[in-house]
Amino acid sequence: MTAPETLVTPTATGRSRSLWARYSWIGWVVVLGLALLFPYVVDRPRFWLPNIGVRSLWLGIIAMSLVFLNRYVGLLSLAQVTIAGISAYGVGYVMVTLDQPFFIAIPVGITAGTVAGFLVALIAARTKAIYFLMITLALGQVFYSYASQAIEVTNARRGLAPIKKPDLEIINLNDITTFYFAALLAAVICFLLCRYVAASTFGMALQGIRDSPERMAALGYKVNRYRIAAITFSAFIASIGGVVLVFDRAQIDPDVVSLGSTLDVLVVAVIGGIGSLGGVFIGAIILTLLDNFAQDFTDRYMTLTGIVFILVLLFAPAGIAGIGAQVKRAFDRRRKNASDPGDDPQQEPTATQPTGEAITKGKQQ
Amino acid sequence: MADPALVVRDVSKSFGGVKAIRDVSLEIAAGERISVIGTNGAGKSTLFNAIAGVFPPTTGSIHLFGEDVTRLPTATRAQRGLARTFQTSRLFEQLSAADNVFIALGGNEFRGGLLRPARSNPKRWERVERLLERVGLPGRGEQLVADLSHGEQRQLELAMALALQPKLLMLDEPAAGFSPAERGHLITLLRELPQEITLLLIEHDMDIALAVASRVVVMHDGEKILEGTPAEIRNSARVREIYLGGSIDHAA
Repeated sequence: MTAPETLVTPTATGRSRSLWARYSWIGWVVVLGLALLFPYVVDRPRFWLPNIGVRSLWLGIIAMSLVFLNRYVGLLSLAQVTIAGISAYGVGYVMVTLDQPFFIAIPVGITAGTVAGFLVALIAARTKAIYFLMITLALGQVFYSYASQAIEVTNARRGLAPIKKPDLEIINLNDITTFYFAALLAAVICFLLCRYVAASTFGMALQGIRDSPERMAALGYKVNRYRIAAITFSAFIASIGGVVLVFDRAQIDPDVVSLGSTLDVLVVAVIGGIGSLGGVFIGAIILTLLDNFAQDFTDRYMTLTGIVFILVLLFAPAGIAGIGAQVKRAFDRRRKNASDPGDDPQQEPTATQPTGEAITKGKQQ
Repeated sequence: MADPALVVRDVSKSFGGVKAIRDVSLEIAAGERISVIGTNGAGKSTLFNAIAGVFPPTTGSIHLFGEDVTRLPTATRAQRGLARTFQTSRLFEQLSAADNVFIALGGNEFRGGLLRPARSNPKRWERVERLLERVGLPGRGEQLVADLSHGEQRQLELAMALALQPKLLMLDEPAAGFSPAERGHLITLLRELPQEITLLLIEHDMDIALAVASRVVVMHDGEKILEGTPAEIRNSARVREIYLGGSIDHAA
């Protein structure tokens, strides 16, 4: 028996045969269109652009770096905010302390963050599951206390300020609309970069490591090197988020790398969908909206955020971005049950990127 | 004369206080087909894992094609030409069958071009399709691993091991859970393997073990107790006693 010709070019995931996947690019075009129109449709751009727009973008970029690691490598890192913070500190140090221009500061910042990620990877890549999470959390806290105290480098609690937005004569990022578009460009580039890496041969290998590191070793892959490379890449993405962050805030202080900020990014990733690179921006928008408007009707912003977080975990474990797939699955199941009652062999975890799986997976193996 | 494919010398392995295998020695010439049989708990899998490099042996040494690999990691052994399958499925479950083989192909051959999009590598996808055909999964490439039957998953295991173009192929109970038809197909497939591939098969299904091998090693209680041709093993009173007296599943 010979195989038909068409089978020679399978897909990277085997799932893009579905109509939804084939036309998902239309969805992205719509989203991008809305993002481009955003500055012109909101009633108070001076409020909306920095507080919701730009903040959602850098929160989303940092969360995307976390989601990339979780989805493609099966590692949940709590050091992404720290890495973004190190990048931001790098920019701040070069611009404020060394009084150098932005075009030196930005590469220095991104390099600092990426190198920090590489160092985190060297320490943490051998661990997995809950141990990886704990180590990254601990390293983040180490940096937080360093940043709060190292007066010569980070200026301790006061932080480094002012960090002026670049002025390129033709393009002046001090104009908030222009800055918003620059941040949007950074987010789009990060998104495309993550997608590209995920679909590369390297990305395929990462997914193999996520599903079965033992098998990958038996196939001759140096699993650790791949993990280190992936963590470093995600640190690079987080560092870009850190650069947007630092110019948005115009300063950098230890609050940026606090546990609270780490949790913010985790909440963004989970609400948006921890298996979805693009979903993080939905999560980020929801968080910034809550942050800005919750106080209008309650003093308990944190409680409200917590409730939203729990509701998402309960009813949409794959996040807002996973709701479509969830509804489709429920619909399929119903149709299947109607034709074949009493039998439900549907394999749940394969259709979504599970939230808890990355944490528990290591123990099963 | 070429180095033997595999030399296992006085290998023991203890887990805590339990000695899983004791002073096992084994030599396999290049191109030979060996089966290791034994009941559950005989130490087959421990021996297998020690050879594959999952853990180092407590004592003893392992040479692969003349090179001491006793302390080398799994990945290095794979790069030296050792491919293995797993007894319990360790496939890449969230990916398709074709993706699984695609990744397997990368282990040994693929150095440059890591950042090239996986899809734009038609040559490699063609090899994926050929391997799937070879193990009896033609046209099943697009299926997610989770949607494959148990038997198909075992076939996929085999495709992935073959993808490495191994010099030494180690199969850990490849027929577990197979239907009789699938067993027949597996036997044919293994018999048709190119002569230069050395085969080490671990089975407690005697039919397959004896049908494929030129030499059979019997393990019991962590020790190698017997070695001989399939005919000798088939007629051995000792083997019959072990299989009928011990664990009786899959007894011949």
